[in-house]
Amino acid sequence: MRHLALLVGGVGTGRRYPERMADQANFERDAMEYAPQLYSAALRMTRNPADAEDVVQETFLKAYRGYGSYQEGTNLKAWLYRILTNTYINKYRKAQRRPNEVELGELQDLYLYRRLGEQSGATESAETTALEMFVDEDIIEAIESLPENFRLPVLYADVDGFSYKEIAEILDVPIGTVMSRLHRGRKALQRKLWNLAVEHGLVEPTP
Amino acid sequence: MSGCEHAVEYVYQYIDDEMTLTRRSRVTMHLKRCSKCTDAFEFERKLRAKIESCGKSQPPPELFDHLRALIQQERNTGDADC
Repeated sequence: MRHLALLVGGVGTGRRYPERMADQANFERDAMEYAPQLYSAALRMTRNPADAEDVVQETFLKAYRGYGSYQEGTNLKAWLYRILTNTYINKYRKAQRRPNEVELGELQDLYLYRRLGEQSGATESAETTALEMFVDEDIIEAIESLPENFRLPVLYADVDGFSYKEIAEILDVPIGTVMSRLHRGRKALQRKLWNLAVEHGLVEPTP
Repeated sequence: MSGCEHAVEYVYQYIDDEMTLTRRSRVTMHLKRCSKCTDAFEFERKLRAKIESCGKSQPPPELFDHLRALIQQERNTGDADC
């Protein structure tokens, strides 16, 4: 439980009046409402319902045990996501033995928008209409295709609605790193969507 | 740097609402004059919304019971230690 000591002081400590630590007896009442979001995020991380439930269970157990070190009034959702992230990384990064940091290569800004605009017969605002051809499964496949160091920032920003500052605290990286990974991750996601559209014969491949 | 290049460079900070007011208003002024960038920004915003809605999955209904049981078990173990 030593790593939980790092969480003392909370994530997104906004208030400055005397610190009050949370009561373990209130854990269920306070934390249960975040279970669905945590499960959804875990599913996008592990890509597997059984593993997602394992990660959420372990997260809840660690959070319950460490709840006495959570400072009341600070960002509970971010605190739980930080435990979720560490749990996932400790559990799966070791097992997979793959490099933590993957590079994506240079990608053009507005990647998907530009590719769709190059389609023959594309009219004004056709790109936005073309987004409708992507079904839920395509979007999920594109998110899950991202290397982990890009997938987590994209998930936390786009799906969970965290701010850059919160993501920096959850992932324990500088805010500039969050911004660059988020921007590059989004472009890579767009490239994946484009490739899926080509594979499904929905667009004409461009040179 | 042209107004379009500047706007595109900040597209994500703009749609994420992560810019200072001064920087933001410079982009907003460009968007008012440039329909191409307005179109591109709208595209990025729609895509972000789509990722948000598709990226969310419902947990199995038994998840809540499993979590409650886990905490109860942990609580009992803790009590036994005392």
